[in-house]
Amino acid sequence: MTVLNPRQGAAGAAPGRGLGALSERHSRILTLLGRRLIQIPFVLLAVSILTFWLIQLVPGDPGRNALGQYATQAQVHAWDVSNGLTGSVVVRYLHWLGGFFAGNWGTSFVYVVPSRPLILGHLENSAFLGLYAFILLVPVSLILGSIQAYREGKRSDRAITIAAMTLSSVPEFVVGVLLLVVFAVWLKAVPVQSGADAVGDFGQRVHAMTLPAVVLAFSYLAVVARMVRTGTVGAITAPFHRTAVLKGLPPGEIVRRHVARNALIPTVQLLGIYLGGLLGGSAVVETLFNYPGLGALMVVAAERKDAVLLTDGVMVTGVIALLALLLTDVCLILMDPRIRFENTES
Amino acid sequence: MDSLSQRQAEAITALSGPEAAARPAAGGLVPGDVITGGSLDRGGADEGAGGGGAGRRVRALLRRPTFVISALIVVLWVVAALGWRLFGLDPYGNSGQALAAPSWSQPFGTDELGRSVFARTLAGADTALAVGPLGAILATVLGGALGVIAGYFRGWVDTALMRVFDVLVVLPPLIFLIVLVSAFGASVPALIIIIGAVFAPGIARIVRAAVLAEMGKKYVTTARLQGESPLRIMVTELAPNVAPTIVVQATLSLSSAILMTATLSFLGLGQQPPSPDWGLAINQNLDFIETAWWTVIFPALAVASLVVAVQLIADNLKETWS
Repeated sequence: MTVLNPRQGAAGAAPGRGLGALSERHSRILTLLGRRLIQIPFVLLAVSILTFWLIQLVPGDPGRNALGQYATQAQVHAWDVSNGLTGSVVVRYLHWLGGFFAGNWGTSFVYVVPSRPLILGHLENSAFLGLYAFILLVPVSLILGSIQAYREGKRSDRAITIAAMTLSSVPEFVVGVLLLVVFAVWLKAVPVQSGADAVGDFGQRVHAMTLPAVVLAFSYLAVVARMVRTGTVGAITAPFHRTAVLKGLPPGEIVRRHVARNALIPTVQLLGIYLGGLLGGSAVVETLFNYPGLGALMVVAAERKDAVLLTDGVMVTGVIALLALLLTDVCLILMDPRIRFENTES
Repeated sequence: MDSLSQRQAEAITALSGPEAAARPAAGGLVPGDVITGGSLDRGGADEGAGGGGAGRRVRALLRRPTFVISALIVVLWVVAALGWRLFGLDPYGNSGQALAAPSWSQPFGTDELGRSVFARTLAGADTALAVGPLGAILATVLGGALGVIAGYFRGWVDTALMRVFDVLVVLPPLIFLIVLVSAFGASVPALIIIIGAVFAPGIARIVRAAVLAEMGKKYVTTARLQGESPLRIMVTELAPNVAPTIVVQATLSLSSAILMTATLSFLGLGQQPPSPDWGLAINQNLDFIETAWWTVIFPALAVASLVVAVQLIADNLKETWS
């Protein structure tokens, strides 16, 4: 039976067969990725202009702050010149943009160290935590979502929806605080602060990061599980699924070949966006657990009016978000050979 | 955190551009998308709905226990916000005992300065509700207007607005908010404008989709043929027909706005001491979590109850109106 099975659930929908169709598909993929690659610099440029202009409005005298009250006016002026803080907004913007691409991101006002290693170091911590949360999030939401889809409308379906929605709509810092009280204070299973152990060995680090990663994963769980559920319901109610069942394919085969590949496309798209947010760091979770990530660094930069750190950090966050979207495109193309991007907007 | 997910999910449509827009909308899974889908279907049914429809909707809402409970919770917090002074609560005074556990005289215990956590939790509703409602109204008016304009004129107006929104949704909303707060400060008027600006693009996108679905209907063509001005068509014809979508979005953005202001205070970027703000209270008392959990748990439950209640009201509105 399996031998007679068509290659894909919707292979018939592919435009033609053979080499001709293949090259057409390839050219479409190239067009798509090409368009995205052209789009990214423009969006990034717009983001950088917006960010830079907004941060110019941050009050304060960075030169005076950095040098202290005993520096002369001339010294402050010299410091401003060397840090590219004189001239019109356009001149300062171009100075900063050139420096950003050349790898010279300026000096943090607050930490008085080059901002590039500072930001990249914190980004690494954030990415580690984000990846951990992502690894927790994906299997749990897949399992919950598909259980819901196969038990659509039953009590367990509704129970999972309510539980997940509640977990996701309660603010992250509230979920975090409740888990802290239970696991760190009452059960003493994990440390209260996760940052302190960030220098320990890998096992210790993972142990200390578990609670923050769980809190992060919770906040995305409901939406992703809902996406899996809807995608799966769509796939198992589609005619091709009925055909596959009626022609007697083994259930495992049906799930693998027909349901999963079709059901997961919207989920992958959503996960791509969340991955960008997760890797770029969560200000709330990092602050709550005192974890040295990029989100917490941005909060300090905002509190202390560190314009250099803010501008560079926001740019890095934007780059991460856009790269995650590019990665999503690639995943979608690899997953679904018949993917089509129509030029119609809803 | 629903508000975050919702806005980030918009980036799907934003960043994949027009090509991929069809897929997430067809999935109908993210809060925003669900509404888009719902409003598209609903357009026709609403066309003939008159005053009787509104009454029926309200009765349908009142039969839903989650709606009634959520509404009661919101009313409770509004009463606390407006009336804590009248009840003689003192959120700033020192009771003489620092970090006292909950007891009959101090139902929620006291914090490290001997202040009553009960009084502070009730008074905290004041700052929680100071920004949210006005910010949500501003976001709804701004986003609704831009959405109707984009949907009505289509063409380059639409394209230009959507491309601007594409840029605004690249950054995670909290990061965007942090930048705006550092630039403009965290006073109540500034926060209202910032919340309005941050949530407007998302609302505009959804209202635009609803308007696009209405544009094909006969009443719009008729109004045009009668020579009604675009402004009149948008205000008196289109706006009432997409009103349910707009109301649901307004409620959702209220929940997000309350969450965002509490989050900013939690991060130390919003309300400053000695304000009894919930987010700030959690931040300030985090050091005492091991010895005096009550200083953290009660403000945490307060903010959670308000945010979830408003969210549930939005869900109920969405379900009964579609």
